[in-house]
Amino acid sequence: MDCVNCREPMIVLEVDQVEIDYCLECGGIWLDSGELGILLDDDDIVAEFLEKPVMTNHVRESERLCPECEKNLNELLVDPDNGIYIDRCADRHGLFFDRGELKQVIGLFRTETSKKVASLLKDIFRGDKID
Amino acid sequence: MWELIRANRRKSIALFIVMGLMLMVLGYLIGEAYWPRGGGVGGLAVALLVWGIWSLVGYFAGDSILLKSSGAKQVTPDVHPQLFNVVEEMKIASGLSHMPKVYIIDSPAPNAFAIGRTPEKCSIAVTAGLLAILNRDELQGVVAHETAHIHNRDIQFMTYAGIMLGTVVLISHMFLRSLWFSGGRSSRYRSRSGNRNSGQGQAIVMVVAIVFAILAPIMARLLYLAISRRREYLADASGARFTRYPEGLASALEKISGSKEDLKTANKVTAPMYIVNPLKGKGKKLANLSSTHPPITERIRILRSMAGGAGYADYQSAYEKVHGKKSSVLPQSALADKSAVPVLIPGQEEMAGAGQKSSRREFGDVVRAVNQYLFLFCAGCGLKIKVPPEFKKKQFPCPRCKTQIEVPLAEMATVGAVLESVDQGRQETQKDYDMVYRRKRSEWESFRCNCGKTIQLSPHFSGNYLDCSNCRRKIKIELPQI
Repeated sequence: MDCVNCREPMIVLEVDQVEIDYCLECGGIWLDSGELGILLDDDDIVAEFLEKPVMTNHVRESERLCPECEKNLNELLVDPDNGIYIDRCADRHGLFFDRGELKQVIGLFRTETSKKVASLLKDIFRGDKID
Repeated sequence: MWELIRANRRKSIALFIVMGLMLMVLGYLIGEAYWPRGGGVGGLAVALLVWGIWSLVGYFAGDSILLKSSGAKQVTPDVHPQLFNVVEEMKIASGLSHMPKVYIIDSPAPNAFAIGRTPEKCSIAVTAGLLAILNRDELQGVVAHETAHIHNRDIQFMTYAGIMLGTVVLISHMFLRSLWFSGGRSSRYRSRSGNRNSGQGQAIVMVVAIVFAILAPIMARLLYLAISRRREYLADASGARFTRYPEGLASALEKISGSKEDLKTANKVTAPMYIVNPLKGKGKKLANLSSTHPPITERIRILRSMAGGAGYADYQSAYEKVHGKKSSVLPQSALADKSAVPVLIPGQEEMAGAGQKSSRREFGDVVRAVNQYLFLFCAGCGLKIKVPPEFKKKQFPCPRCKTQIEVPLAEMATVGAVLESVDQGRQETQKDYDMVYRRKRSEWESFRCNCGKTIQLSPHFSGNYLDCSNCRRKIKIELPQI
């Protein structure tokens, strides 16, 4: 699978039965819908991420395509205060996070799930900027 | 056992001949309908010619066409050693002379099929979804069922019956289409020019031809399915006998039928080849008559009723018990064999795919291995990293601990080359060697034999063949292309 952002081949990291597609060039992360389900372990949060209506007119400079269906990714405003957008496939194939975005998104949820996810991400990227 | 195969074949051949007669009658009637004076013989000849050409194509390329259209990829033992191990066991249990080639289909829908011209040139294909949800005993049950199809010579026979069905459908379809587009003009003109009696006679022939062209494909399909269903029972019985553990296959069938995934690469032609009808959503409500397989719940109940033993007689009595009447599903010759085949007590193996997570991960790993990903572990922190074949860097820092990880690019290329050359080898004569390796250059290089053994070639190696020191497989070495 090629990176949505820089088109380089992504490697797959596996920790505790969770797989993350990771780009070594730009630090981008692709989470497909199945991985998101395993990672969050909460159907409501997964549905919120994958189905929440897009309410943004933000236009990205470069075009980003879903690695599975190659349709344009939508932008989803997840943090209006800090202007954080993540990229989402309209057909619910998955989400793309630029470097550091995943941590910020997880930080928005102060729940047990988000703590679990944050600790998993810490486990994967111990020395990386995401921590 | 040979007698059993012959007896099974006799019944199937009778159905096969009826299908052949239908094809000939169809050709004759269509010929007569279009060209009243002697056209019937011409129509007959055309029908047989079409069948002949298709049969030749089916004989020489049928298996590779169907394997390709099913999205199956040939794999080496390191992709899934357990699968190879089980296939090897069943090859020995069934007494096959050659090891079938092993293919994996990149699909989450659990299913499997066997295909090939002869037991010497045959293949078993399983989906990655099947490998993810079955434990070893269940996988053995499925592989035993497929090996039984090879052993009972079903695969070749079904190919010809399938081709005959295809010919009947094609000819009927073309005839009915031609009537639609011509509006029956040719017959009208002829009836005007000829006398009234011959015109009426031809009109009758035309009507008969149309009715037959509509009915023939339906009848041919029912006959084809009758052959296919009978062989499924026999393969279940043989499979239970090979493993001596009917519960393995029963449990596998239960898991496969419980899956909601659709096999996207399957179609009407290939559906009867699979262990369970892959077209689940479609035709579910149709009567048993038009089903490609016996009802799966019935197959499971028969296998689970084989309490006494795993022999053919045990299968027959279980079948009668489930049906509640005396009807024979296996040939008498098989039932004459009264030797006891005790049922095995299963091992206490941990159930594979017990957790959804691990099952999903195993499926993903098989698919990646089939697609030539490299599985690396960081030496510093142990992180599991899967590298795609398109990756071109020689090394990269571990995202977790920054330890430099070396990527054995040469090994990735070699695995691809071996698989590619094995594929090309299949299209050639495949008589004198079991595997082909094409050299990249005239330097030191290493590659893996299909058995997993790494073989090194020196720059001075000038022979055309070598034998693997592990499995004794004969490998053809091709010179580098300049």
